[in-house]
Amino acid sequence: MPRLSDTMESGTIVRWNVKEGDAVKSGMVVADIETDKATMEMPVFDDGKILKLLVPAGQQVKVGTQIALILEDGESLDGAQAATSAGAPNASAAGRPSQSASANTFVSANSSTRGASSVEPIDAQAEEILQADGARVRVSPVARRIAEQERVDLGSLKGSGPGGRIIKRDVMNALENRGSNPAAKTTDAPRTGAMSTSTSQSSATPHVAASSSLAVPVSPTPRSNGLVVAGLQSTEVAVSSMRQIIAKRLVESKTTIPHYQVTMKFELDRLMALREKLNSELASMGIKLSVNDFIVRGCALSMAKHPYINASWAGEKILMHQQVNVGVAVALDEEKGGGLLVAVIRDVDRKSLRAISSETKTLSEKARSRGLSMEDMSDSTFTVSNLGMFGVENFTAIINPPNSAILACGAALKQPVVRDDQLTIGYEMTATLSLDHRVIDGAMAARWLNTLKGLLENPASLLV
Amino acid sequence: MSATQEIEFRDAIRDAMSEEMRRDKRVMLIGEEVAEYNGAYKVSRGMLDEFGPRRVIDTPISESGFAGMAIGAAMLGLRPVVEFMSWSFSLVAADPILNNAPKMLFMSGGQFGCPIVFRGNDGAGGQLGSTHSWCVEGLFSNVPGIKIVIPSTPADAKALMKTAIRDDDPVFFMESERLLGMKGDVPVGDDVLLKFGQACVRRTGTDCTLASWGRPVHFCMEAAEELAKEGISCEVIDLRTIRPLDIGSIERSVRKTSNLVIVDQSWSFGSPGSEVAAQIHQRCFDDLDNHVHRVHTEDVPAPYAFNLEQEYLPNTRKICEAVRSATYNA
Repeated sequence: MPRLSDTMESGTIVRWNVKEGDAVKSGMVVADIETDKATMEMPVFDDGKILKLLVPAGQQVKVGTQIALILEDGESLDGAQAATSAGAPNASAAGRPSQSASANTFVSANSSTRGASSVEPIDAQAEEILQADGARVRVSPVARRIAEQERVDLGSLKGSGPGGRIIKRDVMNALENRGSNPAAKTTDAPRTGAMSTSTSQSSATPHVAASSSLAVPVSPTPRSNGLVVAGLQSTEVAVSSMRQIIAKRLVESKTTIPHYQVTMKFELDRLMALREKLNSELASMGIKLSVNDFIVRGCALSMAKHPYINASWAGEKILMHQQVNVGVAVALDEEKGGGLLVAVIRDVDRKSLRAISSETKTLSEKARSRGLSMEDMSDSTFTVSNLGMFGVENFTAIINPPNSAILACGAALKQPVVRDDQLTIGYEMTATLSLDHRVIDGAMAARWLNTLKGLLENPASLLV
Repeated sequence: MSATQEIEFRDAIRDAMSEEMRRDKRVMLIGEEVAEYNGAYKVSRGMLDEFGPRRVIDTPISESGFAGMAIGAAMLGLRPVVEFMSWSFSLVAADPILNNAPKMLFMSGGQFGCPIVFRGNDGAGGQLGSTHSWCVEGLFSNVPGIKIVIPSTPADAKALMKTAIRDDDPVFFMESERLLGMKGDVPVGDDVLLKFGQACVRRTGTDCTLASWGRPVHFCMEAAEELAKEGISCEVIDLRTIRPLDIGSIERSVRKTSNLVIVDQSWSFGSPGSEVAAQIHQRCFDDLDNHVHRVHTEDVPAPYAFNLEQEYLPNTRKICEAVRSATYNA
């Protein structure tokens, strides 16, 4: 019984489409199998003749159980009969089919052909790897580890160590040869659980040529856990160290910090007007203030009344930060693999809009051209992420540890709004604050947002 | 790095003791022929003249007696250095050095420490026969409470001896008669000390790690040189102290090379080598390409005949064979 979904533990034969004695060809659907998810068609991967159907329609069996025997061309009956008579759990007497005299079964190669240890239950050696001739493969620990990481099929290698042990050198050689013949070396071939007994079957699937060192072809066929995925083709891209850090930090943040979100709308008519006026008057000085600059300053000024937003959870205590250092999320070019850095503007509560603006610009450019130094990225106490320039209306952000809050800002959009009980057109921005509930409760968050709202909606206060 | 001067191993030890005796009046040297004769192996040359007979003391041939006396002195505040002409002779002092010194702090509930250094020649000196060729670290490393230092160069010997004398616990300092005449650059000055438990990479390599201490480190270096001609790149790690044991340095190296050969001139059964092997198998299981190989002294009493003794000890040929086997190049 092949594993047809990653959570499948047993399957029911809904219907056999063949009977004993029928000839089958590779790809032919021989049965319908009901899994925990759906009823799926089960093809065979080998040409031959159905010798025996071991599990009748309607019966449910565990993954890995023999369900039928196929005789390949030129194979005789004796080996197969021995296999059947020995009972489902093992077929020790049969040896491996390649010697001509045994059946090709619908069972994983390792459980059907385990060889000498006939009294052991299947599960005990479920992970054992067999060579093409059925012999147990001996592998040095480091060779096994590298093979797993690089997905080298150990069963296809010939060990050069004592007693045929596969050693590091053998795996490294296989990896080197992979470029010229990728399919043969990776674990394309089902090691367990699927019906093929030959690696050449799966290598018939088209592969993307490994043109760059970053992209190596990934087999669309089963992985070593026996999971069958129909026809999904992907390209592997090496993960940059920045992305590794993003992955690690954000998983850590999202899994260890009790996040919740509070959203508020901000009327930005006056701010937009003020910004336009300032920018036109200051254009000659090369100053162009962004909406984000106003928001960053507004956030920093709001901390004075609500110090808990500018704090960190530190296990047994909460650290209330004396400085207000605002991190500004900077997205890197997608063509270069994307990525995200947080540039930190220090002491924002004591800086003018102009200083905030020029520092943000400098750091963003530096981030995109040559990257930021540790100093440029450390000691933030709060973070602002802004997708307004993409026209995003609203989104939520993941807290940037050790911060306790991050503000996700959408665009200032022209919208139908209600002002003084009149429907009119105005600028409105939606922003969502993500918070660490260990430090900040909902009402505290709401009060901070109200303070920010007061500042952004009366923007003169941001100038002085 | 300060200036260096080239001196013999024996003088490096003498300089360390003399500097510490000038620095600290509680330090003294006691043992057979350490004073009038300047040491059976001329390690304490000139020390009687400088420090006088109250601090450089000749004793009768009575290891149990003078070791016990020194332990008592250490408990009451002195910091004795006890020379055993050979560690082979320390066995008659087993009770004081193993049963008293390392347990004193524990048994007295912290009331009495035992800041003492025992030092002398360890390992085969060359045709001295079975009873005088002991390599004692296999026996003594089994005992908690002892620090064991086994340097391989004059510079390490000096720096580690100074640390040993300043240490508040019993330190067993093991020299090799075969290395005492070895010359090497030693930093000039009183203040160069080495922490215990810090191994040193003597040679970097990628295919196999060789871990050793004391005299066999030099065999490892020779073997590494020879193996390099065959295209096998060895990393040689000199542990310098085996208690404390810098297993982390070996671990880091093995993660890189996937192979480890330990060269230990004690007998193999229950030895520092077997301990290192066990710890590396535990820590680096998934990084090993072969089981840890060990080169030890053969499991028999030391023979007297020159050719037999050479075969009995770890040597360059045996190390090369072990590395070839470990790296599947045999």
